[in-house]
Order: sequence, then structure tokens, then C-alpha cells
Amino acid sequence: MARVVLDRVTKKFGEVAAVNDVSLTVFDREFLVLVGPSGCGKSTILRLVAGLEDVSSGEIRVGDGLVNDVAPKDRDIAMVFQNYALYPHMSVFDNLAFSLKLRRVPKQQIRQRVQQTAATLGLEGLLERKPKQLSGGQRQRVALGRAIVREPQVFLMDEPLSNLDAQLRVQTRAELIKLHRRLEATVIYVTHDQVEAMTMGSRIAVMRDGVLQQMDTPTGLYDRPANMFVAGFIGSPSMNFLSGRLERHNGSLQVTAGDLVLDLPPERAAGADSANTQEVVVGVRPEDVQPAASLVPNGHRPINASVDVVEHMGNEKFVYLSLANASLVARIDVSCPASAGENLPVVVDAGKIHLFHPATEEAIF
Amino acid sequence: MIAGRRLDTLRSNLLLTVVCLVWVVPLVWALGTSVRAPGEPVGTGFLWLPGRPSLANFAEAWSAAPFVTYYLNTIVICGGILAVQLFTITLAGYAFARVPFPGRELLFSLFILQLMLPLTVLAVPNFLTMRDLHLINTKLAIMLPYMASGFGVFLMRQAFRSVPLELEEAGRLDGCQWWQVLWHVYLPLTRPALVAFGLVSVTFHWNDFLWPLLVTNTPNARPLTVGLASFALAGENGAQFPLIMAGTLLVMAPLLLGFFLFQRQFVSSFIRSGIR
Ligand SMILES: Nc1ncnc2c1ncn2[C@@H]1O[C@H](COP(=O)(O)OP(=O)(O)OP(=O)(O)O)[C@@H](O)[C@H]1O
Ligand SMILES: [Mg+2]
Repeated sequence: MARVVLDRVTKKFGEVAAVNDVSLTVFDREFLVLVGPSGCGKSTILRLVAGLEDVSSGEIRVGDGLVNDVAPKDRDIAMVFQNYALYPHMSVFDNLAFSLKLRRVPKQQIRQRVQQTAATLGLEGLLERKPKQLSGGQRQRVALGRAIVREPQVFLMDEPLSNLDAQLRVQTRAELIKLHRRLEATVIYVTHDQVEAMTMGSRIAVMRDGVLQQMDTPTGLYDRPANMFVAGFIGSPSMNFLSGRLERHNGSLQVTAGDLVLDLPPERAAGADSANTQEVVVGVRPEDVQPAASLVPNGHRPINASVDVVEHMGNEKFVYLSLANASLVARIDVSCPASAGENLPVVVDAGKIHLFHPATEEAIF
Repeated sequence: MIAGRRLDTLRSNLLLTVVCLVWVVPLVWALGTSVRAPGEPVGTGFLWLPGRPSLANFAEAWSAAPFVTYYLNTIVICGGILAVQLFTITLAGYAFARVPFPGRELLFSLFILQLMLPLTVLAVPNFLTMRDLHLINTKLAIMLPYMASGFGVFLMRQAFRSVPLELEEAGRLDGCQWWQVLWHVYLPLTRPALVAFGLVSVTFHWNDFLWPLLVTNTPNARPLTVGLASFALAGENGAQFPLIMAGTLLVMAPLLLGFFLFQRQFVSSFIRSGIR
């Protein structure tokens, strides 16, 4: 019932289009994550859906109704703000109860619902405190509770975890996922942290400069990025980009990028043919670059690389490599020996590379 | 280091003591004079304290003029002005702080200009207006010119602007109309400013003399200050200082009492609202 639909929505602040012709559908009970670099219009989209800003053009529907002209309080939407925006003069109890009081819910029922929400979030002992007397994590849970207690159709969350320390963030992330499952509500969640996006979203919408770049499941985005921006934004360390050429060689299609020469598997060659270009940008995920010693099915012709920097992550390591006229990051197993200054022959998995059009930056595949 | 700090404290304490004395001396003198027995001349005995303290002056002053009427008038005037002011400055302050509309900044500058006009400049035009409205010799005439306050609007605008915008947005999503946001979110957070303004307003209008004198001509509408003046001038054989001082203290008493009772709150309100 609580689908959220944006239909060709544009929001201009003066001449700047903070949101530019965005169309997207958030399904009922979906956890949609909006990601993108700072200033790309994520918050603006949330504020448009909440009704805190008016669209310049386009339509927004919540449930089945057009809400362009509906006041925020009548949209049945709750928002969790980045800095929580708890009412400083009210106790935790009153913060949670405020929206219910405004809706004239009977006192008895308010008490019950607040207590139930507090129990869900582990806030029972804190109900009499003022926000000032809470830790950051506790405030964050109160902010969440204030949204939950209303049982709205749609939750909007604007970087709700960004003020927490790393450990608490991971923990709260997991709690939020569980909570979403239990509440069965539609959530639109904004973050600029791609790890949060990948772990939390049932689908992810990637924004850039107000324009929706791609919307897909986390694996869909990772495996089939629509353009170089998405490819570079999703995944850490970022995808390697090398400029290269497509050449036909003995009937099979080859990509060359400096020292790197790869035969495209036949099932991918067809796609590359249709791109109608010789110049390409080759995208290689760091995990698809492996030391030549380890066996990679489609990898061939080891290339020589020298190790610049090694970052140990505990379970794996990131190796920054210099090629003849390019550089690569590889994500390799801890057991593989590699240290700065050494030579390390590597192979690239040709079946997993991405090709992009150098002018449009769109994916060829 | 520590000795230096101690010296600083000593110095500021000394300064405060001097300032305090300057404020307190007239009060003590008034008090001392007012309790002089009616027969005892002002110059006799110790300069400050009478030989035989007595409250006879208070009784005489109280019965010599319709102080009850004056009191009621002053209370109604101050209360009325304050009530309307709180209403107008809150709404106008909110509009100037958070409601965008064309010409807002220009209009606000005009309000600020009002702060720079001495009130006495407006006395004559205001008097003419009151006359045209046939309000001369009414309490309403005393109140009307003060019901909007440039200073109050300025103060509340600043106070509202210091409230994070997200709180208003959270309120609106929680189900507030704009006036509910004002009532439940803005006002509780800006109470120090309101209290400070209230104190300034009440003190000012309690002590205001010129304007009420201009627009009243009978005791019915007169506030304490004007009443006191006419009472002081009415003495037959020269100034009766003990009597006048007793009357003055009667006029001041409620303000003094109120201030002593709520001193703590007032001071913290002033500090938090930024008025000194
Ligand atoms: N009220 C406003 N007036 C003018 N410009 C605005 C306003 N709000 C946002 N913008 C502009 O719109 C663009 C998008 O802003 P938005 O806050 O949506 O970015 P964001 O993706 O949430 O960024 P961040 O990750 O930093 O929060 C920015 O360029 C910003 O400067
Ligand atoms: Mg933002």
C-alpha cells in the first residue's frame, strides 16, 4: 500500500537543479538506499517526499495518492534527521509521545505505545531523561523511536548513523535491518557510505549531481554498473580504470590496455562489437586482479607489476601496483606474499572485466 | 598565577561593591526618611536613621491619595500591555525569523528603525491620535501605543532564529500546524527571552511617567507614577519628604519584591537571552 513514486521530479533552488528529472519507485515494504557524493541531492529527495520542500515540477505519490499539495503532517511519513532533532525541552517520553498527543490518541494508549517502543529500542530506563542527558547512541535510538511510535506508512532516514562511532554504527546498522523486517514498513534511507548502502538496501539508487544514475539491487549494481560513476562509487577499493583499445585478432576480440592484453570470452564479444568504438575504458575490480601464482580461470598472460603500497586489512590485503603506464589496485589473500618494492606478476580475470565508452562513460557491458 | 587571579577577584569584588553602594544608597535614604515620625524634622538625629521609627507616614500617604485605584490602574496597564505585546512580538518575531515573504528584510529594517526613535518624539502625534480616537483619560490610551514593540520583535526574531530549523520540521512531520510548532517547540525554547522581555516591559511601564501624564487628567485612569507626582505636589507647606518617600516606596514595593523573589530566574533569563 505504501509505495512511494517519484515521477519526473525536479527541484530547483534558484538556477541550480538539486534534483533533476528523477523518476523512481520504492515498493511497499522495501528498504531503498539513496547514495551519492555530498551535494548530489539525496537529502532534497527525502525532504520532497516528506513535504518539507515543494517540487518545481513532477509528481510524488505516496500509497496511491498524489501528495504534491498535501501538508507534511498529513502524509503519514516519519523522518529521522541526521542530527536527530529531538525536542530539547521534552523528556524522552514526551519526545516519543508528542506526535500521538497531537493526534489526540487517548492517554492510556499513548503510554502503552511509548512503553512498547521504548522496550523495542532498549530505552525503558531513559524515559524521564532529557535529550541532553543521553549519549549519542541513545539519542539516535530516541530519534528512531519517535518515528516508530507513530506507525507511519513510510520512514525517511537521512544519514541516521553518521554521528555514531564506527563500532556503534555497525551494531545499529544490524539493528535497523532487523527492525525493518519486523515493522514491515517502507524505508527510504540516505547515506553517503557505500558499505551501509550495500549491506542495508534491498535496492540502491545512486545519485550524482541531482540525476539518478542507476537503481538496482546491491549485487546488480556491483556486477552490472551502468556507467563509470556507479562503477567507481560502489565497491571499496574502487574499480580500476585503464584506457584501452578493442582489436580483432585471429577472429577473437581482444582488449589491450598497455601491457594488459585480454581475449574477451565469446559471449561478451558480441556486446563489445555492438558498441561501435575502438577506444574503451577497461574497468577491473580489485578482486579480479590476482597474483599470477594463484589460479584464475580466465586469466592469461601474467603482466609485470611492481608493488607500491600494501594495506593489510586482517583477512585480506590491498596491494597498490604500478604497471608500465598505469596503476592497479588488487585485493588479494593475506597468505599471498607481497611487499612494497617487489615485483609481483599478476593476471586479470577477463571474464569479469567491464568496458565503458570513453566519451559517454556509459557501460558497454 | 593564582595570586594574580585572586587579585583579579578582589578587584572585581571591590568594583561591584562600589556599584552596589551607588544603587543602594538612595534606597536606604528613602527608607530611612520614610519611617521618620511625622513630628521629627528631617535634619535631626543621625543623618540616615530617625530617632523613633514609625510607619505613620505610610498610613498617611495611603489615605491621602487613592492609591488603591492607582495600583489597580498600573497593574491593569502593565499587564494589558505585556499580554498584548507577548502575543504580537511572538507572531511578528516568528514571521521575521522563519516565514519567507517578499520584502521581509526591508520591513524588518523598518521595525529596527523604531528602536532608534526616542519615545518622547512620538508623544505629540500619539496624543493627537488618542484624542481623535476619543480615548483621552482612559487606560487604553496609555496602553495602545506600546502594544507593538520593535525591541520585542527584534528580540524574539533573534531567539527564534537560534532554534534549529530541524526542530520545526520535526514538529511539522509529527503533526503540528504552524501555530502548534510555535507553541510546543519555539516558545518553550525561547522562554528566557520572553521572561527577560516581560521584565523590561513591566519595569518600563510601571515607571513610565510622561505619556500617562499627557493622556490622563483624573485619578480614574492614572497609574501610580502620575498619582504619586500629584500627591507630592499637593503638599501645602513645602515638600514633605517623609511622606513623599513613603509614597515612593509604596509605588516601588511590588517591583522590588518581585525582583527579590525571582532574582535568580531573571538574571539567568537575561544572561541566556543576551540582554544585559
Ligand atoms: N535550501 C536550499 N537552498 C539552496 N540550495 C540548496 C538548498 N538545499 C540544498 N541546496 C543545494 O542542493 C544541492 C543538493 O543538496 P542536498 O542537501 O540534497 O545534498 P545531499 O546529497 O544531501 O548532500 P550531503 O551528503 O552533503 O548531505 C546542493 O548543491 C545544495 O547546495
Ligand atoms: Mg544530506
